[in-house]
Amino acid sequence: MNITVRNLRFSRPGFELRVPAFDGRDAEITAVVGPNGAGKTTFLKCLSGLWRPAEGEIRIDGSRLETLGEADRARRLAFVPQEHAAAFNFSVLDFVLMGRAAYLPLFGAPSASDRAAARDALAYVGFESFAVRPLFDLSSGERRLVLIARALAQKSEVLVLDEPTTFLDPRRETEVMDLLGRLASEQRKTIVVTLHNLDLAVRYAARIVFLKDGRIVAKGRPDEILTEELLQQVYEIPMRIIDYEGRQFIVR
Amino acid sequence: MTHGKRWLTLGILVSPFLVFLFSLTLGPSKISPADIGKTLLSPVVRTWGDAVTPVQRDIVFGIRLPRLLLGLAVGAALSVSGASLQAVFKNPLVNESILGLSSGAAFGASLSIVILGAAVPPQIAAFIFALAAVALVLAVSRASRSPLITVLLTGVIISAFFSALLSLVEFFASPYSLQTLFYWLMGNLGSAGWRDLAVPLPLMAAGVMVLLLMSWRLNVLSLDTEDARSLGVNVKRDQRLVVLLATLATAAAVSVAGIIGWLGLIIPHLVRMLVGVDNRRVLPLSAALGASLLVLADDAARSMAAFEVPVGIFTSLIGLPLFILLLTKSAKIWR
Repeated sequence: MNITVRNLRFSRPGFELRVPAFDGRDAEITAVVGPNGAGKTTFLKCLSGLWRPAEGEIRIDGSRLETLGEADRARRLAFVPQEHAAAFNFSVLDFVLMGRAAYLPLFGAPSASDRAAARDALAYVGFESFAVRPLFDLSSGERRLVLIARALAQKSEVLVLDEPTTFLDPRRETEVMDLLGRLASEQRKTIVVTLHNLDLAVRYAARIVFLKDGRIVAKGRPDEILTEELLQQVYEIPMRIIDYEGRQFIVR
Repeated sequence: MTHGKRWLTLGILVSPFLVFLFSLTLGPSKISPADIGKTLLSPVVRTWGDAVTPVQRDIVFGIRLPRLLLGLAVGAALSVSGASLQAVFKNPLVNESILGLSSGAAFGASLSIVILGAAVPPQIAAFIFALAAVALVLAVSRASRSPLITVLLTGVIISAFFSALLSLVEFFASPYSLQTLFYWLMGNLGSAGWRDLAVPLPLMAAGVMVLLLMSWRLNVLSLDTEDARSLGVNVKRDQRLVVLLATLATAAAVSVAGIIGWLGLIIPHLVRMLVGVDNRRVLPLSAALGASLLVLADDAARSMAAFEVPVGIFTSLIGLPLFILLLTKSAKIWR
């Protein structure tokens, strides 16, 4: 499933985001990068239908996002927030089960097949043993993976993740990105993700979009667009790109 | 769940029936359990009807049965509404009084008892002002950017406003009407006959039943609003529905039973400590435990002394210290 954005404009006092064109393709990770305050999260929330842009259109496989109902949209697109603070201490399985909400009517409760979907999702992130653990006992890295599991229980073809690796240690960071890579290659999911770690973006993303001050500065395949001049322009500090064993690394 | 907890859960679920049967035998006129059973079944088993005196029948059907049914319904309605409101406001300390409902009802009752006299019964006045207070709170907070927190703040303010109005009415009240009013405000189940229950009882039953049907959805609604939306839930519509149902059920309860405090806060909390926060368990168990405990408290209130102590005083006096004790020992169940 492809997700496309045309002529998007979102504004709030003191800030305006404009995205003339953006395409997320299936079986690919598209990374959105840029400095703090560039509008990355704003863009993701518009893309996910959570915030309504002033202008422009967003389509998932041809159908316009705002014409879909909440449940219909959630069956096609799952949003993974940066951090999650539930008010109540649910068990991990009960929390992941909430990913099935879009499939259940107002008076409905999860069936055996919903529970199976939640367990499969937990197993996919390697957390099948976490089912009965209370949410509040998890570390922030573990919570991140549980949030991804909940999104997988939604069984949507588009996954939008807001900084899924921030605050994670190198091992968890790699685990999360490997997981996203597998979801793209094995399940052909369309993945859009914001990242601060440029090395991860270069290594995992098929395409990178550079955002700054609410505008797209550059977009395309990393090997085609990545230059030291671009990084200097976006982050306003000198950066070097170093080729080592066939891979690019960014150093300051 | 451990084996012990499973039995405790089952025990809570059947407790309203046991408490109901036990409480039927309590009262100033001694009627044996066998006679109570015969009286209850006399409309069905004709031959037993002859063994029952008209006085017994009047006591069981006219006095004890409506009081017990009211107690069960009020206990369930307050507890289930409390648990549901706590979920949609994402805050385990929310109860009906925070929405302005209790003080609105109290002011309505005072208007009726002190000023309007018999023209408008206190039940109707209390019901109307309970709804009016909640409507006012929701209308004021609707304009705000973060409605949920504003609802709670506005609720406190509107409550204070109605309390001031109540004081004003009390100031001008005669000693006699003041006594009646105080008795009403303290909350009691004794003043209701069948006629008073005709509307409130079905309202409470309907509210509790629909909320029970929504219990899984309440889990999702207890997440951050935007998070719940991203999962495909129409949060605004569902929140409104829950607040409407909880308000109707609670207003109906308060209108006949007066202000019975703290039940809506304590019962769901007790249940969460026992079985965790999944509302599919919390709601039915809150209904059962709230119904049983309120009727038991009422049993104590009416049999402890020669006169009746208002049960509302009882629930607060026993419930709050118990609650504090449990709070200090409870596992982490909320943020």
